[in-house]
Amino acid sequence: MKTLFLKDMRYRQARVVLTALGITVLISLILLLGGIMNGMRIQARQYVESTGADLWISAEGSGGAFIGFSLVIEEYMAFLNAGQGLVPDSASPLVFAQARPNVRGKSTKAIVVGYKLGKLGGPKRAIEGRMFTPSNFEDYRPEDPVPYEVVVDEKMGLEIGEQITLGDEKVRVVGKTESLMFVLDTPLLFMDVRIAQKLLLGNTPHVNMMVAKVNENFPVPEVATQYDEFETIETRTLKQTVGNIIEYYVDEPMKAVQFLRVMLWLAAGILVGMITYVTMLEKTQEIGVLKAIGAANRYVMALLLKQVALMSAVGVILGLILSYIFATAAPIFVAIHFLESVIVVCISFVVCCGSGYLAARKVIAVDPMIAFRGEI
Amino acid sequence: MTAIVEGNGLTKRFGTGDATVVAVDAVDVAIQESELVMIMGDSGCGKTTLISLLGCILTPDAGQIRIEGEAIDPAAQDMSVIRREKIGFVFQLFHLLPYLTALENVMIAMDLARTKTDAAENRAMELLTQVGLSERFHHRPAQLSGGEKQRVSFARALANRPKVIFADEPTANLDSRQSDNLMSLIQELRQEHQTTVAIVTHHEGLKKNADRIIQMKDGRIFGE
Ligand SMILES: Nc1ncnc2c1ncn2[C@@H]1O[C@H](COP(=O)(O)OP(=O)(O)O)[C@@H](O)[C@H]1O
Ligand SMILES: [Mg+2]
Repeated sequence: MKTLFLKDMRYRQARVVLTALGITVLISLILLLGGIMNGMRIQARQYVESTGADLWISAEGSGGAFIGFSLVIEEYMAFLNAGQGLVPDSASPLVFAQARPNVRGKSTKAIVVGYKLGKLGGPKRAIEGRMFTPSNFEDYRPEDPVPYEVVVDEKMGLEIGEQITLGDEKVRVVGKTESLMFVLDTPLLFMDVRIAQKLLLGNTPHVNMMVAKVNENFPVPEVATQYDEFETIETRTLKQTVGNIIEYYVDEPMKAVQFLRVMLWLAAGILVGMITYVTMLEKTQEIGVLKAIGAANRYVMALLLKQVALMSAVGVILGLILSYIFATAAPIFVAIHFLESVIVVCISFVVCCGSGYLAARKVIAVDPMIAFRGEI
Repeated sequence: MTAIVEGNGLTKRFGTGDATVVAVDAVDVAIQESELVMIMGDSGCGKTTLISLLGCILTPDAGQIRIEGEAIDPAAQDMSVIRREKIGFVFQLFHLLPYLTALENVMIAMDLARTKTDAAENRAMELLTQVGLSERFHHRPAQLSGGEKQRVSFARALANRPKVIFADEPTANLDSRQSDNLMSLIQELRQEHQTTVAIVTHHEGLKKNADRIIQMKDGRIFGE
């Protein structure tokens, strides 16, 4: 009977479905947790990479841009802009500061990015509305009547013309940019560097960091080392900066989660294995019957493996699909790594079938008369 | 007369250490062609164990089994061939597969012996009709009474035209009218198929049907 294994499974529908669901849940948990970590990594790099800057310059002792506290005096701009190995005039001032704007009466997390429009550090144009009105950076005087305007992340759900409050000041939303959330779904608020200084840095002639482009005839790491040697600044390449952010914003705070992830892998492996193992052992009696009426061990093994493979495949694939659905529905950014999901799926499938096989082998080795008792 | 099944020095122990039970203790036994043997004895004396050994569904700890004169070596041989070609077993608890219908439960035995599906289906229907279950082809074991399951089990045991049928307490779950019916059915089937039958029972009323009675006590045969 070619469909014997299906008849058996249909008879035990509820059990089979529950077993597959158990596998499904474990697989989705693993994939989602991995997806959260991966999502954080993506967000850690997407803003920095979008700027197109090669060098990230922060204050000496800050450990790099985005890491420790960093204030750099504006004078370095001129020095960098004339500097060797850099694209002339590419050095740009950047304020990058955590803020808690009040949005529609609610205090919200966000990061204020103050930059010079047209230079490195932020978008050149808005996808909706317009960019903020730029100040006259070089001849700026605090009393200049530059309007407080901000360009927001499209995913913040703000309307153009709406006002948000930063500190005591009202800032008007004039445009939207393509979403570039920072780690943990933190939206970026782009504004003129002078306004950012005024709102967040007490109106002093400092910025948090400067960015610049390296002349394409020069190797980036060497130029970075060369500028890093100056006593008052630290200079990192884009690659180093991304590495720093990932380490500082993702890997270190998420150490416990990483640990949990390893534990989850172990637990899932053991559970998934146990589920199939026990499911197979439960068939001891029937296997005894089949053998007693003349089924060869090979026949019984094929029957059991077909069942375990089908059940595992359904559980694993369902887990895969479900985790992608959950990922889009999740309240935070979850990016399941395709390669990881393939690996998880393969390993789980192998673990399921492997433990099913081990159990089947154990059951099959028993004399039918002993198997009838159901306890081995 | 030739022995269909023969056991020499058969021994089977269960458990270890102090809890060891010698269920069958150095038993010599032979079941001759076409006879109807009854194995009787108190509960726990080793009847089920003995026919399981003879029926090749349990490996003895010591002793030798011969089927139609050929020595069986469970370690070296594929026992499934013997089980499906030479032996039919009616278990005390029927042991039908719960997910198959009565018809499929009979067919599966023939399927294992690689009988073509059509032929298997025809024979299964024939056998089930013969045991009075023509109205129950498509019922699952859960939908059958004890007596009906017993008869499906019989039909399954007969399916591959075995040399010998072992039946373990076939009347234990039946009332006296049902067990009389079953015994006459067995006699009828025996006439027709010349099958050798060994029945384990402690039902004194069945004795009259037997060609020979083997008495067991504490794992040994003490009288015939
Ligand atoms: N699979 C088993 N595991 C352990 N003990 C068993 C097993 N089968 C039978 N026994 C023991 O062997 C003895 C004989 O059992 P059995 O052959 O079933 O007797 P009977 O069929 O005559 O009632 C009993 O003491 C029983 O408890
Ligand atoms: Mg018994």
